[in-house]
Amino acid sequence: MIRFRRLIWLQLIAAAGLMLSMPQGFAQQPDPGDEPGLIADDGYELPPEYKRQMVYYRSTEAPGTIIIQTSERFLYIVQGNGRALRYAIGVGREGFQWQGLLKISRKAEWPDWTPPPEMIQRQPYLPRFMAGGPGNPLGARALYLGATVYRIHGTNRPDTIGTAVSSGCFRLVNADVTDLYDRVPVGTKVVVRQRPEL
Amino acid sequence: MRTFRGGLLIGLAIAVAIAAAAITYERYDTKTLKRTIRRDAVLCGVNTGLPGFSTPDDKGNWSGFDVDFCRAVAAAIFDDPNKVKFVPLDASERFKELQSRKVDILSRNSTWSMSRETGFDLYFPAVAYYDGEGFMLPAARNIDSALALDGSKVCVQDATTTQLNLADYFRANNIKYTEVKFDKLDDVLKAYQSGQCDTFTADVSQLYALRLRMAKPADHVILPDVISKEPLAPVVRQRDDDWMMIVKWTLYAMINAEELGITSKNIDEAMKSKKPDVMRLVGTEGAYGEELGLTKDWAARIIRRVGNYGEVYDRNVGTGSKLGIPRGLNQLWSAGGIQYAPPIR
Repeated sequence: MIRFRRLIWLQLIAAAGLMLSMPQGFAQQPDPGDEPGLIADDGYELPPEYKRQMVYYRSTEAPGTIIIQTSERFLYIVQGNGRALRYAIGVGREGFQWQGLLKISRKAEWPDWTPPPEMIQRQPYLPRFMAGGPGNPLGARALYLGATVYRIHGTNRPDTIGTAVSSGCFRLVNADVTDLYDRVPVGTKVVVRQRPEL
Repeated sequence: MRTFRGGLLIGLAIAVAIAAAAITYERYDTKTLKRTIRRDAVLCGVNTGLPGFSTPDDKGNWSGFDVDFCRAVAAAIFDDPNKVKFVPLDASERFKELQSRKVDILSRNSTWSMSRETGFDLYFPAVAYYDGEGFMLPAARNIDSALALDGSKVCVQDATTTQLNLADYFRANNIKYTEVKFDKLDDVLKAYQSGQCDTFTADVSQLYALRLRMAKPADHVILPDVISKEPLAPVVRQRDDDWMMIVKWTLYAMINAEELGITSKNIDEAMKSKKPDVMRLVGTEGAYGEELGLTKDWAARIIRRVGNYGEVYDRNVGTGSKLGIPRGLNQLWSAGGIQYAPPIR
């Protein structure tokens, strides 16, 4: 019972901390990263450095492992032999500060979107549910990360690749997330790395 | 008779002493920092013009990766990245000019090799940029490994180490190729552009610069493979250990700063950090700068005025520049590359 009460206190403190750390008027600001209903521009061309490409990459992780370097805005699939296939991503402006190892727990094509309650609270204008399709902010594919609310997914806003605008998810352009989806099975290890804190 | 012999001996002794002093002057220069401070500027030997590494603009302002390294040394000493005099040097005389004290540092895309250290009495304190031989080819060929180049016609500059490395690599991997060689690099590029060969080999940094001269740069890719070792490093004279330490730790401070997440933008925040490794680097703990003969905040000055290693890389040769060279080998050891700095502690 004591333990339970302490847990509630901790949660309250954490929630208060989160509210304090948010910029003022944050909840009223539309999220530049989410535009439900917008149909992605298929002709959008990523800048050369953000195009999917094979790069030099040393790693002790097994081939097939996904490594996400949030500060670089890149996602790598380790290929072994000193190379990796690199995709450009958009990352969270806050939210996913967690670092370590997860596994892909589920995969979905044209996923439905049910924004989690904490997101609704911040952005009340968001729909409670949106069926999968071209106007869905999750885009063409989603890879679910462990038991978290976070995913690697597509987007209907390819222009946000390389920026930090999401609510913590990792987004790729639809062509890239489809390519990635076909390469990695459920159970794939996902290593997430963050910029070190000062 | 005796006095005459004695006089001769004394005279000889004086002559030997003067000669020894002269030789010592030539060989044992330990006052580079002192002279630099008196002169109020670092003398920096750079390339006369190499995109991304050192180029002057119309007004004579220098920029580039090699240029920024000298600016970092100036920032560490003077807290002012502009207290540098850039001396453009040709490749042929660069080591002799460093030896004769025309410059304090040579930061001129120079490959570190054993004979250059031993033969010229020089010292390469640390690798600033790992270059090496690579391959460019039309994107349409859809090849992503050098091992898949079997049967290729390869454009290469004649009588270079590039040509020798090419032969070694193909032989070692049991793949065949036909050499298409020219004396001048421009002719090699023309041959590649006119389709006389399937791929073009040169140092990777050079390939990215040459790609900019193509009609459609995006139609050509540079493979991630690097088949030779061309470690580019700053150079100083031997036997001035105090100066060598400053040059070496300037580079290591920049690499450590990137690893710790300290940038020119968040340096003020870093000065307030309570993380021990951040505090040691920015000088809020310990006396590491004083040990170098500099101030406590020597590394903070470098980061504030010039930036960390990644910032300098990106704006000069990386994604923030025209060249757009991926980090590759020059990424930190903890993020897929081999750039590794000993810790400051």
